[in-house]
Amino acid sequence: MDIFSGLFNGFAIALTGTNILFAFLGAMIGTAIGVLPGLGPAATIALLLPITYVIGSPVTAIIMMAGIYYGSMYGGSTTSILLNLPGEAASVVTCIDGYQMARKGRAGAALGIAAIGSFVAGTIAVIGLTFFAPPLAEFALDFGPPEYFALTTLGLLLAVTLSGGSIIKGLIVLVFGLLFAMVGLDPISGKIRFTFGSVGLQGGFDFVTMAMGVFGLGEILYNLESTAKTEIVTTKIGKVFPTLKDWADSKWAIFRGSIIGFFIGVIPGGGSVISSLTSYAIERKYSKHPEGFGQGAIEGVAGPESANNAASSSSFIPLLTLGIPGNAAIAMIFAALMIQGITPGPFLVAEHPDVFWGVIASMYIGNVMLLILNLPMVGLWVQMLRVPYSILAPVIVLFTTIGVYSVQNQVFDIYSMLFFAALGYGMRKLDFDPAPLPLAFVLGPMVERSLRQSLLISGGDLTIFVSRPISGTLVAVFVLLIVGQTAFVIRKRLRKP
Amino acid sequence: MKKYERITALIMALGGLWIVYYAWDTLKIGSIHVPDAGFLPFLCGTGLVMLGIAWFLALQWRKERQTEASREKRLWHRPLLSLVLMVLYGLAMEAVGYVTSTLIFMVAWEKIIEREKWIKTLIISLLGTLAMYALFVYFLKVPIPQELFLR
Repeated sequence: MDIFSGLFNGFAIALTGTNILFAFLGAMIGTAIGVLPGLGPAATIALLLPITYVIGSPVTAIIMMAGIYYGSMYGGSTTSILLNLPGEAASVVTCIDGYQMARKGRAGAALGIAAIGSFVAGTIAVIGLTFFAPPLAEFALDFGPPEYFALTTLGLLLAVTLSGGSIIKGLIVLVFGLLFAMVGLDPISGKIRFTFGSVGLQGGFDFVTMAMGVFGLGEILYNLESTAKTEIVTTKIGKVFPTLKDWADSKWAIFRGSIIGFFIGVIPGGGSVISSLTSYAIERKYSKHPEGFGQGAIEGVAGPESANNAASSSSFIPLLTLGIPGNAAIAMIFAALMIQGITPGPFLVAEHPDVFWGVIASMYIGNVMLLILNLPMVGLWVQMLRVPYSILAPVIVLFTTIGVYSVQNQVFDIYSMLFFAALGYGMRKLDFDPAPLPLAFVLGPMVERSLRQSLLISGGDLTIFVSRPISGTLVAVFVLLIVGQTAFVIRKRLRKP
Repeated sequence: MKKYERITALIMALGGLWIVYYAWDTLKIGSIHVPDAGFLPFLCGTGLVMLGIAWFLALQWRKERQTEASREKRLWHRPLLSLVLMVLYGLAMEAVGYVTSTLIFMVAWEKIIEREKWIKTLIISLLGTLAMYALFVYFLKVPIPQELFLR
């Protein structure tokens, strides 16, 4: 099946009544959680994972999850611009100039350019996804255990190093993720590991339980500590369609943001946060009026908002072609696919073309839906901030509890989730980024299997990882990364007075 | 903050040591030619020991930063109380049934954690329980623990 006939079939699937409805639901939920601070896309997809058991069709389930992810990027800009309060991490940088524009009475123009930039970037990234993903999947068919080991390890390490936080803490979270994935039966030797005599643990931890605990409840517990109150919204929004001058000022920022976001999104660990920060830095550096940045420059909103949206779409490339989730939210979508009995990876396009092309086609439709949802209805989304946390928090607790119970109908899963909730809360308290945990958890079995298989194939010869061209290149990238990172840290230390 | 981090770093290093021992002694690491079930746990345990020590040492050199979050007054007892409530909710769910336990949990949450007035508490609790019942039992057909008085 070539790209165009695949895409045509994808549209035939995505345009069915049920799939349009679920794409719309995903886009709407995504916008809503993007607006609400304290509940990111990873947490929301985690909370909704049990629902995928009930949604019969895998395409429909993934269309909804994908909609939540890229929808949250649209919604995240709203509170950044109007309240100087980022709805999610990727919109932090939008606060700088977006809020200044709102203070000068140009909130509508900022919101408008953010939504239009997101739409353009999202569409450019989906076009890239359409044309890049199939050849990459074909290339990945040649991968054996050493290549998979090198790729998964590199992906995990990139996720840690690019996250921007402490590398030591990131690596600790990564090791914990691998260890949690090992609990239960070892698939190769049949030995039971880390169960401490508990029958409930023999099947291992469930991904849904872990994700809902760390991201859903963990975040709720941490937010319960806060005494800060959300201000009532009084900002006047005004006209949301940008003027011709706004267009002229931001068209290249949108284009550059789209390209930057697309390429950063493909790298494991890259994601929306780094792409928006990179785009902002580049716009400021190459602007004819860098002094305007921080004072309400429209390029400072257009570039980063385009970049984070492009990254959210292109981060589907490693998932759909290599079976490697690049960030926490994509790891949740990986789990949703597994729940539906579909293994993401190079065989996906051949074995489940309906899922592959259906999801891609739904992204084109979802982007149009989001533009409609975000431009005329922006006032409505802002009103959502009036929902008090005293209602939101217990409802989320109820939702997660019954949700996790519904997976296997056992109360043991609720206790497992509470264990992970306490862990997630502790991680936030100690300033650990929990993002590498689900990545290591889902990739853990692949890392272990490919490592042990590679050593068995080579008779214990470790050069197998460097003697094969693909794995050798990946190892070289890994070594360069370590050397580069170390040199950067040493240089930074030496420069400090 | 630094004190708690130091303690956690040491616990982590000790936990890593235990994993190394468990992988070596109970799971068996096998050999590099034929790795056994303890091979990767052994590597992870070793990594955890090294990372725990590295974190501990890094804390010795790092100066404490006053972030905006650390300046904000934080109520640590609320997450603790809510965790206790959630554990009790899990216990009650099988003992007295889903609807009853959910209603009690909501009332307890609104009164203990949120300190809401009785009228608001009852309205939120009833509506929350009803919404969850409608979504999971009526629409999604999830089997829930039956009520005590219906058994």
